[in-house]
Amino acid sequence: MSVATSSYIPLAERNLWHDIKPIPQDDGPNPVVPIMYSEEYRDAMDYFRAVAAAEERSERALELTETIIRLNPAHYTVWQYRMATLLALNKDLEEELQLMNEFAIQNLKSYQVWHHRLLLLTHISPKDPSFEIEYIHQSLLPDPKNYHTWAYLHWLYSHFYTLDRISNQQWQNELKWCEEMLRVDGRNNSAWGWRWYLRVARPGTDLEKDGLKEELSYALKAIHLTPHNVSVWNYLRGLLRHFKLPLSPLLPAILPYTTRPSAKIPGNPQDLDFPLPSSPLADDTPLPVSLALEYLADTLLEQGLSAEAGEVFSELSTQYDRMRAGYWEYKRRECIEE
Amino acid sequence: MTESITLQQSTFKRNGHINYFLRCLRALPTAAQGSDSNRMTAAFFCLSGLDLLGALDEKTTEEQRNGWIDWIWSLQATTGGFRGSTFMTTYNDKTSPAHLPSTYTALLTLSILRAPLDRLNISGLTTFLQSCQAKDGSFSPVPGDDIYPNEGFQSDVRMVYIASVISDIIGDFSGINVQAPKQFIESCKTWEGGYASRPGIIEAQGGTTYCSLATLSIFDKHESASSQIDTSVENGQKDTLRWLISRQIGGFQGRPGKLQDVCYSFWCGGAISILGHSGLINRDEDRSFLLSAQFPLGGFGKEPGDYPDPFHSYLALAALSLTHSSDDTQGLGLKALDVLWNVSQHTSDWLKNEMARIRR
Repeated sequence: MSVATSSYIPLAERNLWHDIKPIPQDDGPNPVVPIMYSEEYRDAMDYFRAVAAAEERSERALELTETIIRLNPAHYTVWQYRMATLLALNKDLEEELQLMNEFAIQNLKSYQVWHHRLLLLTHISPKDPSFEIEYIHQSLLPDPKNYHTWAYLHWLYSHFYTLDRISNQQWQNELKWCEEMLRVDGRNNSAWGWRWYLRVARPGTDLEKDGLKEELSYALKAIHLTPHNVSVWNYLRGLLRHFKLPLSPLLPAILPYTTRPSAKIPGNPQDLDFPLPSSPLADDTPLPVSLALEYLADTLLEQGLSAEAGEVFSELSTQYDRMRAGYWEYKRRECIEE
Repeated sequence: MTESITLQQSTFKRNGHINYFLRCLRALPTAAQGSDSNRMTAAFFCLSGLDLLGALDEKTTEEQRNGWIDWIWSLQATTGGFRGSTFMTTYNDKTSPAHLPSTYTALLTLSILRAPLDRLNISGLTTFLQSCQAKDGSFSPVPGDDIYPNEGFQSDVRMVYIASVISDIIGDFSGINVQAPKQFIESCKTWEGGYASRPGIIEAQGGTTYCSLATLSIFDKHESASSQIDTSVENGQKDTLRWLISRQIGGFQGRPGKLQDVCYSFWCGGAISILGHSGLINRDEDRSFLLSAQFPLGGFGKEPGDYPDPFHSYLALAALSLTHSSDDTQGLGLKALDVLWNVSQHTSDWLKNEMARIRR
């Protein structure tokens, strides 16, 4: 099956391909989910089959693979053939990278596009990868949550760090860039993840020695800016879990969001040198914040006050987070069983 | 998009879905060209959809089914494993190797069609798995070489999941080194409690969390069968459960701050089921989102108003099966799902018996 497009000149009518006998696809008598190919795609694949069967490594083979991956960017066999051909012909891989810059914009979700890019950078192996980092920063602007782009940025830093090509200055610049991303959109979960890498997880960093308290404050300030922002709550809880810290010392900073008077909270420390929310809270914040109630309940559990914790879970289940009623009820029952 | 398409759909369009899958089996539009190298998997979505709907025997002929079986066998590579489609039309395994995801979906689709598996090259299959495994324990979708190494961007928890299911299906884990992928997955766990696609990557995602938990569960089952130690995957996964449950916003989102998307009702819902807590899903909200993403002529899109595709159509049914098949008060009439292999329980039971038969 193929769909004709009028302006298309078949490869058979082009001089470049006169010596090649195309191999049509044999889909057998009982094809499953046959695709109504465009004429251009079918034609290019007929010639690709012939070229690949002869293992031809040539300029025209490269051209053909480009045609196909533009029509089907997930074509893993064609990508693989293209990479082998580029290397066999000793092509200028920076030129290929330029082509990929243009290509990536339309195909940000294709695994193959990013895998190809990763292989190119591995081969080019620049002494200073900052031009590539800059390119990735730019490509995140129109699509700041693209999973592949962030994963690739992570690969860039870990790969070139092991080659000792990431300077301290570069790490600092990256953190500044990440802070700017979070300033623009504090709800960008990917950017919070990137901050986690830069502050906690990356090789050569030691937050425990160098600014854990500041990091907790950074998260609390972000909560005060957007109290319903699930990403920053997860970030804060992630820090506490990772460094095996208790929840209780931070409770005063989030208590206003639970709309509970602090006097009624047992074991609540009265003095605190963590950032507190504005008092009174901004009146456009819907209260209570269910994430704060969850934090309160977990704090009460930590203090062995499971009956009180159960009450908070019960409120979440019946009033403040009905979407997860079943889960909060399950948490409440756990309190009783303990 | 016309108004009639965006109208709220609230009843389950069983016949529409049957017809949608039958139409796709006959032909996919030019827009599906990007799936050319993954037709085996598109076929799996359609046939497994019909299987969950209990419509396969009634709506297709034996002749059709035998024809599809022949097409799938024609894609078994001589060295083991299955290709993704007939796109190379060559017997040169060098330019047309087997493909890991297609091998998984080929095995399941043959079973859905109840094809005797005597022709399955099991020793080739384990060799094929070995040829895809990377040094870090992960797997590449195609066997690597010096130019296209097994390590890299595509070698992620999706591929580890697929390799572990294939090993589980054939009851033979000799094709994979189990310890390395286990470590690989454990280091994919993020600050949030979910799992990312590769170690060190900084953001969890619904699909990769499903793949990670399913794999750990399969490995646990495999190890406890041989060592009698019960190491349930549920242990120490409280933060994972919390992260998954938080993704429900009606339907499910894949990550915080993203829109709901039909496929995450399965990825997140399936992961919650693997943790033994499918009862904690708000199934009324989930169902009402999923039904609203039905296309008037059948099939499901990514979100309400979108055109349908086989991937979202199948995963919507798989998600509904997780929360609706045991006490079918909504009259959806879906078969129960084997959540680890992602195929109907009937088919996975048949496949287990069939593997026992051919291994005798």
